[in-house]
Amino acid sequence: MSATTYGWLVLAFPLAGFLINAFGWRVLPGRAAGWIGTAAIGLAFLNAIGALVMVLDKPVAGRELTSTLWTYASAAGLDIKVNILVDPLSVFMILIVSGVSTLIHLYSVAYLDSDRGYARYFAYLNFFVFSMLLLVLAGNFVLLIVGWAFVGFASYALISFWYRRNTATKAGMKAFVINVIGDVGLVFAAFFIFRELGSFDYLTVFHAAPQHFATNQGVVIAICLLLLVGAFAKSAQLPLHTWLPDAMEGPTPVSALIHAATMVTAGVYLIGRTYPFFELAPTAADISAFIGLATLLFAATCALAVTDLKRIIAYSTISQIGYMVVGVSIGAYAAGFFHLMSHAFFKALLFMSAGSVISAMAGTQDIDRMGGLRRAMPFTAVVMTIGALALAGFPGTAGFFSKDEILAFAAHRGGFYWIFTVGGYIGALLTAFYAFRIIFRVFWGEPVAEASELEHGHLAHSEPENPMTGETEDTDVGFPGQEHHIAERDRPMWLAMAALAFLSIFGGVLQIPGLDDVIDKFLHGSFLDSTLYERFPSIAADWEGLAVGGTVALIGIAAAYRVYVARPGTSAALIRRFRAIHTFLVNRWYFDQLYDAVVYRPTIAVGRFANDVVERVVVQGIVVVVVDVVRGVGVVVRGAQSGFVRAYALLLIGGFAALGLYFLIVSS
Amino acid sequence: MTFHAPHIDYAGLSPVIALTAGICAVLVGGVFSARRQRLVVSVLSLTTVAVAAGLCIWQWGEREDLVAGALRLDELGLAGALIAILAAAVVIPLSWREPAAERPGSEPRHGEFQALLLSSVLGMVLLAQAQNLVVLFVSLELLSVPLYVLCGSAVRRTQSLESGLKYLIVGSLGSATLLYGLAFIYGGSGSTDFTTIRDAVGSGLTDDPLVLIGIALAATGLAFKISIAPFHQWTPDVYEGAPTPVTAFMAVATKAAAFCVFVRFFEVALGPAVDNWQPALAVLAAVSIVVGNIGALGQSSLKRLLGYSGVAQAGYMLVGIVCASALGVNALVFYLAAYTLMNLAAFAVIVVRERESGYGDGIKAFEGLGRDRPDLAWPLTIAMLALAGLPATAGFMGKLYLIEAAVDADYTWLGVAIAIGTMISLAYYLRVVAAVWMRPAAEPLAPEGAGMPAMAGGSPEADPLPSLAAATAAPRPGTRCLAILVPAWLMAGATIFFGVLPSPLVDWASHAGGALTPFLA
Repeated sequence: MSATTYGWLVLAFPLAGFLINAFGWRVLPGRAAGWIGTAAIGLAFLNAIGALVMVLDKPVAGRELTSTLWTYASAAGLDIKVNILVDPLSVFMILIVSGVSTLIHLYSVAYLDSDRGYARYFAYLNFFVFSMLLLVLAGNFVLLIVGWAFVGFASYALISFWYRRNTATKAGMKAFVINVIGDVGLVFAAFFIFRELGSFDYLTVFHAAPQHFATNQGVVIAICLLLLVGAFAKSAQLPLHTWLPDAMEGPTPVSALIHAATMVTAGVYLIGRTYPFFELAPTAADISAFIGLATLLFAATCALAVTDLKRIIAYSTISQIGYMVVGVSIGAYAAGFFHLMSHAFFKALLFMSAGSVISAMAGTQDIDRMGGLRRAMPFTAVVMTIGALALAGFPGTAGFFSKDEILAFAAHRGGFYWIFTVGGYIGALLTAFYAFRIIFRVFWGEPVAEASELEHGHLAHSEPENPMTGETEDTDVGFPGQEHHIAERDRPMWLAMAALAFLSIFGGVLQIPGLDDVIDKFLHGSFLDSTLYERFPSIAADWEGLAVGGTVALIGIAAAYRVYVARPGTSAALIRRFRAIHTFLVNRWYFDQLYDAVVYRPTIAVGRFANDVVERVVVQGIVVVVVDVVRGVGVVVRGAQSGFVRAYALLLIGGFAALGLYFLIVSS
Repeated sequence: MTFHAPHIDYAGLSPVIALTAGICAVLVGGVFSARRQRLVVSVLSLTTVAVAAGLCIWQWGEREDLVAGALRLDELGLAGALIAILAAAVVIPLSWREPAAERPGSEPRHGEFQALLLSSVLGMVLLAQAQNLVVLFVSLELLSVPLYVLCGSAVRRTQSLESGLKYLIVGSLGSATLLYGLAFIYGGSGSTDFTTIRDAVGSGLTDDPLVLIGIALAATGLAFKISIAPFHQWTPDVYEGAPTPVTAFMAVATKAAAFCVFVRFFEVALGPAVDNWQPALAVLAAVSIVVGNIGALGQSSLKRLLGYSGVAQAGYMLVGIVCASALGVNALVFYLAAYTLMNLAAFAVIVVRERESGYGDGIKAFEGLGRDRPDLAWPLTIAMLALAGLPATAGFMGKLYLIEAAVDADYTWLGVAIAIGTMISLAYYLRVVAAVWMRPAAEPLAPEGAGMPAMAGGSPEADPLPSLAAATAAPRPGTRCLAILVPAWLMAGATIFFGVLPSPLVDWASHAGGALTPFLA
């Protein structure tokens, strides 16, 4: 089979899984829905490997393969096809997406076992994977937009999966609204591209762009900035990041899959995919890189102060995507995508471990209430530490090689790009610190009640209530319910986490400077026209960077050890000493409050004003007069008049007066 | 002076002739009494619309003037006619059990009901082809007068009477405004024929106050018919009060025909004055998008909600006219067709649900539909998602097409307005979807402590409430309405089909734009 046939099959299996679960939920017994969902994604992964093999079979210059299934719309001034582009970049992405998704489906088979929305969960999850694969395989901008919107919709559905929980539905809506802002940016970028270049098709557009535009021409910058709106909304970069921490209201495997490993990296993919535009608009690329840098530092500081376990990891995700955005924006494409891959491994692992921990704590997510869990759950403690080591960039792990390659590239590029190297290392220090803040707070110290209970074999089950607000809940569908599952007891969860722990440690061997540059060489087929791709730093410079990075990671881990293990009172003392800064960080730099005051409240106020004043006073006022006038004329007539006919007539005339006035002004 | 009868191309006029003959036959069919009447009349009307549709398709591709230029036979007019005919064909089965046409214990009135409906279709077919001020006005009245009657046809319901009367009064005002405007244009240009007016306006009348006042008045009158804000105020009231099949018909067919003549009048007759009317219509479109979407947010009646949503959708479609390009007309015609499919699906569900639940067309009536009546829930869900413009539905392609036309015509800000309007609209369309799929929390008979209400979304796995389960088991009137379910599913299926594979519809719509190409930049 050709590579593109495999590409279509990669899309077909998750879609089939979605349809089976969506329509067959009534007859699926027990865990069948979960296994069907997992199998569908697993088959997609096998086909992705097939696509990889077929692409590797081609010469480097001929690895961009397209295939059209049908013509979507073709008319004067419009030519859209349903086509996919199978090239090294998209193959790389489908491998990560389907691979990590398979493991997360596997984990969910056990984790969601006692939730009564089991089949619905897997239907949503399969639909998400289908959409995500469509997003990365799309061969033109319209199909990209379709995937982009579907992914946002799936994310909304999964965040609000516990649809009777108030905080979850609110978080879902917030995510959806911000995602739609991104969709709008992307739609307009696509139309500007179409207007300038006359096509939606990737390859056509990318080949035509360099001839059509001058460097930094206004319209290219506009296109890039619109693309960035789309990318930043999806990837939760400043200032559109506020939805991601709230998205943690969804089930934990959803956080692992969508809000860590796959969907949120779509923005990085988009910037990498449209690199010809960004190389034509270096200004836009620089803006993007600086926003990435600001985000990575901002989110890392938030992760230092937040106490909700999943939200710490969420801020860490925002921060790590900041690194990727910096990478693909400054031209370190291979490094950026390498980091995307290793991040997918260790972040999914961290979330899965967090899910296991939260289960052991009977739903509690506050790390202040955790401690001493390492004896109660040895496996989770080991794999979560592995995840934290990879996140911190501990020498030898996947995160070590990938993060430092971005920073080394920035240092090598010259000019002001050293800022990214310095900022990146500062971020890395913070990262190592907060990563081990989690580990030390959760697994070290005195065992809490739940931990000692678990050591005696009793898994805690609490009263059903919302851990965020304390609202009481029931155990019916639409709420998480009482029962929980931990990795130590459920084989599928154990398997998935073990596999990811392995990848988090050894994923880095794919690209060790000077030894093998597998990803570099492979992705090159998608960046043949790039002027920046070949600018590798020397191997010596790479290793210098790695040495600095490793030192920084060790310092960060040591600092965390000192604060949280060696001298347990240090943290509280620091908080007392820097209360203002701590409050500022705990409130996440007041972004939510700012949006609330500047956007949300005024909108509501305007709506209320329109409703109260315009509707009530103006229209009703007219009506009262009218009703008084016609009172006593007859039931039917009064019925009609009370519906404000005269008010409408007045508006009709008023509207016409405005139009007439306009035309009179035009004529004179 | 001798009178020369104009040459009449009977082939081109054949849809009009077929409809006229059909109306007479249907009226006569009304003499049958009681149970037989519905069958006879419906067979006659459905045959009529089928023949008329067939003749329209037969004439597809012809481009010529009919009856001394009074009518223009081209794809744009035929597209409008076909949409109106499709709407009528769907509405006829919807009306079968409607109290307006058949109330237990009294003489059925299918003959009158369907004859009026067909008369309105005839008006629409003529309007979509009108190429003369007089024909424009006469066919607009032919379209409107039967609708006034139909809105009030549920005579036992005051709301319906109110709706009919209200539509009559405000509608007459709109017609009067339009007529006044047409008079000004005639006065300024000295002709009632679109092409002659075009020549006259082109030769130095673009800034003539008389003509411009006429344009303003005519735009007001037409904007009234297609519910463009601020001339939309009647829409939610009349939509809510009228019998639902009539509302469905008004919502889609009137809009289609009126938009066709709007396009023809502005792009052909007033084409040379494009620089003057373009900004004004652009503002109207934007105002409509804002007013319609904001207005729909707080509605609790689904018909009112769809009324406001119709105002917003009319705003989107007006963008197609503002563009003044073939692409704009294509996008408009495509959107009209998509809009027809999605709205008919939604209204068909409302018709059924209105009869079997105690909540009328309130959103409450649709709660729990997902587990209760999936055969009704799916078409409604598809319609709502399509109206919201979700990918893989016709609504997505329609919006994409309109935005592209707007960007192409340098009206990017209007494209942005469409996008923002779409964002706002998600709030109320998704609210309906949520109501459909969440468990019926508002059931008055729900036992105490039946559980937490759903916030949004829902799940088919939820337990049925005991009271509801009992209610589901009992047979309810109108529960097995194949006559309504089949059209609802057809429309919903077509919405999805043209979302996944829109190219046939795009081709079809681009013929309509092609018909006006000589007049467009």
